[in-house]
Amino acid sequence: MDERLDKALAFSKYRVSIEHRRKAKQRRFETMTVVHYNNGMFRADPQTMTFVTALIADGHQNAILIDTKSNPIEIMNLQEFKVTLFNAYFEATNEYSTEIKKLAKARDVRKAMDW
Amino acid sequence: MTSGIAFFAYNTEQIDYIRLACIAGRYAKRHMPDQPVCLITDSGTWDWFSKGPYADHAEQAFDDVVIAAADARANKRTHWDSPYHSFASDFKNGNKHKVFSYTPYDQTLLLDIDYVMMNDSLKWVFESDMPVAMYHQAEDLIRQPMPLPQQHLSTHGIPMVWSTAVYFDKRHELTKLFFDVWEHVGDHYDFYKFLYGFPGTMYRTDYCVSIANHILNGMGHGELINDLGVPMINMSQHDDIAKINSVDEWVFTVNDRKENWEDTLALIKRENVHVMNKRSLDRHYDTIMGALDG
Repeated sequence: MDERLDKALAFSKYRVSIEHRRKAKQRRFETMTVVHYNNGMFRADPQTMTFVTALIADGHQNAILIDTKSNPIEIMNLQEFKVTLFNAYFEATNEYSTEIKKLAKARDVRKAMDW
Repeated sequence: MTSGIAFFAYNTEQIDYIRLACIAGRYAKRHMPDQPVCLITDSGTWDWFSKGPYADHAEQAFDDVVIAAADARANKRTHWDSPYHSFASDFKNGNKHKVFSYTPYDQTLLLDIDYVMMNDSLKWVFESDMPVAMYHQAEDLIRQPMPLPQQHLSTHGIPMVWSTAVYFDKRHELTKLFFDVWEHVGDHYDFYKFLYGFPGTMYRTDYCVSIANHILNGMGHGELINDLGVPMINMSQHDDIAKINSVDEWVFTVNDRKENWEDTLALIKRENVHVMNKRSLDRHYDTIMGALDG
């Protein structure tokens, strides 16, 4: 085989593995940002976190929020809910960031798989 | 109120289910130490295992053992171990719906013995007030949606609900109704096969729960059976475990669905995974147990 093509195909396989890892880490991040609260399912995403923060800043202590399954969920303690959301967010982003940085340094498939 | 995790394990000539249940049970205890683990098995399987060299592994993995005979109906399943080797084996899943009466707990998370929990992301179910919950979506190891026959019961059929992980609370009225419908569908499997147009001859509990969900939702879409929230990660039987990096970090070879001679690697780290290739799990038994023992 042409040496140039040989090298290109090897690199192509490496890129496929890296892309799979990246997608897996993204899914793991999404899973970690899921917050179950009072039988509702929420995501610790910027929109929810900002909305909860705004409600608290506006003097609300409780509110009804619509969860990711479109169910109305009564949040009796917004401050406690906010802490739960922020904890999930920071835990998820910290792990995601660490893993992506590690992946960026992986120059071959073995390193990408922590082999 | 009591809660816990349950596994069915009925050995066959080809597969040592109870040995695999020891792996899944240990992982469940590792990540949900507050939940007791129950093994549901028959007297033959239990006698054989408890007198064998791995008997102490069962003690480490299970808090409760329920002896219940398997369903007598014949059910053959073709298992794959890579794309190049297959074998047929009995598949004793006919009484899975009876977990409702077998389980010693009010709230139960029933898991297949090849479902390995590498994190505690399902612990929220025990704090919920859901009657029943299962996975409504699944992805393969490289996070692609499952092939179409595993997303719907037939080409234009109802969506699949996965019975790999079934959470239920016996105290809800709806829960008994759900398990009764599951049993009814199982009892009239050929009729429902014709009605819903699903393929194959093997008795699949995934089909039973999907149909029960559809019926109880008024023959329409709905989430009466709650979704466990995120897609289940499903290893294909054509895939293999390549290496156990550490207790919560496994490397898999992922076989290309179209070009079977191609494999890529996938790393599963601190995620729950349905290890469909049971032979691959068995091959790595000692390494996995060694990692669990630390």
